[in-house]
Amino acid sequence: MSSIIWYMYEFARKAWITRFADAKSQESIIDKPPRFRDFPKVIPENCIACGSCTASCPSPTAIKLVRDKTTEEAEGLTYPVINESGCIRCGFCAEVCPSDPKTLECGENHFIKEEFSIIPSKRRYIVDDYLCIKCKACIKACPVNAIKEENSKIVVDQLKCITCGDCVDACKVKGAMKGVFVDNLEDQKKLINLVVSTLEKYIESKQEDLEKLQRESLLQLKIPLSEIWDDALKIIPDAEIAHEIIENAVDRLKVRIVTWNSDMCKKCQMCVPECPIGAISFDNEKDTIVRDKDKCCRCSICYQTCPFGVIKYFLSKFVLDIDDDGEEYMYITVKPSQLDYDFIKGEHNEG
Amino acid sequence: MLSRLKDIVRKTSINVCIINCGGCNGCDVELVACLSPRYDLEQYGIYLQNNPRDADILLLTGAVTEQWEDKLRRIYAKTPEPKVVLAVGNCPQSGDVFAQEGGRVNAPASNFIPVDAAVSGCPPRPSEIISAVLKVAPGAMLAKSQANREIEDYE
Repeated sequence: MSSIIWYMYEFARKAWITRFADAKSQESIIDKPPRFRDFPKVIPENCIACGSCTASCPSPTAIKLVRDKTTEEAEGLTYPVINESGCIRCGFCAEVCPSDPKTLECGENHFIKEEFSIIPSKRRYIVDDYLCIKCKACIKACPVNAIKEENSKIVVDQLKCITCGDCVDACKVKGAMKGVFVDNLEDQKKLINLVVSTLEKYIESKQEDLEKLQRESLLQLKIPLSEIWDDALKIIPDAEIAHEIIENAVDRLKVRIVTWNSDMCKKCQMCVPECPIGAISFDNEKDTIVRDKDKCCRCSICYQTCPFGVIKYFLSKFVLDIDDDGEEYMYITVKPSQLDYDFIKGEHNEG
Repeated sequence: MLSRLKDIVRKTSINVCIINCGGCNGCDVELVACLSPRYDLEQYGIYLQNNPRDADILLLTGAVTEQWEDKLRRIYAKTPEPKVVLAVGNCPQSGDVFAQEGGRVNAPASNFIPVDAAVSGCPPRPSEIISAVLKVAPGAMLAKSQANREIEDYE
């Protein structure tokens, strides 16, 4: 009942009668709503001529990249041209346009951008799953909740990580959580090679000391870090990165050393066929055994084969540390191999 | 005298006929929206006819398919002079998304009949269609009828 009265009142209103008598569409129907995706607007100055707009376009005739003529003053601009008789106003071109600010503008949707939170940093924090004991101390320490457990593994969400390094401090196992440098992997390889070859050459230069070494004794050597520091900085100029890479490399490095005392050799040639990679050969003209040092993989098979104690085999470990004067040294510890001692009954070291 | 009177009448009452020559129906939906109270085609004196013999203006939608090639010519021939053809949407102009490689559309429609004007869009807004009809139709029809008269006088 009330609705009938409302309708009667509505029909009786003067405004309604005038509108009925003079029925016209409102002018506002011409206006396009603000979210309407109209034909893309091209801003030629922003174009980087990548062609992603043409690739994304579903209509074959809609968009084309054109290039202005190069004049004496300036190189011709390259920019997309919209053919309005082919364009379907889908806005894909504006959405994919990677230039900033956009070359193509069309409606509002393409201004919605995904959030990126990658902080420019030298390090990337990752978990070494082999060492991780899943104590979850890092999860508690992380201020932005970037670390979580996934499939019973601890992982760092790189998009959330702010590279503060709190997780490394909180980690109870050395090396389980680490900040690795990801930018200059090739340079890092070169630096590690430099460290390893320097140490190896130094040990091999001490061959006389090694020959004298008793079976259960150690040989301790040290090289100052300053010897390779200048070369290291040439490879990686950042001192912080270079130092950490050298420290990591030295601390975990294990080098096997093979010495060759040819005076004791009786030329029995037993080692020649035993070598798995053919690094040992017999020189008929000079009547000597020749060992190719660069080829040798230090597998110790020749050491186990030789009955005359020509070949000796040592294991060396390293650590980077600061001595009492405050100078950094690479400490080297070399010990003779205990390999197959029972089998060869210690005859080797006595010679 | 009579033809002058006809010209005046034609200005205020425009008879249109929609021809969908193989489109996706999107533009036809927009044309139907023109009939709705919001846009109300007839307040501008545009009347929809279902017979091309009654129409002055042909509203062409759709990329021309193979079956429509000769039918389009026949419909154009049946429309009385002065006739104006208005291409609605992108399809009659360029074939739009249907003009892919190996496609079976024969766009543009101007290959078969003379097209006087076109509204771009896929589909165009109803207000765009109405404003295009109102802008183009009266002037084009007047010019065409005058041209026809000159030809008759010359003969």
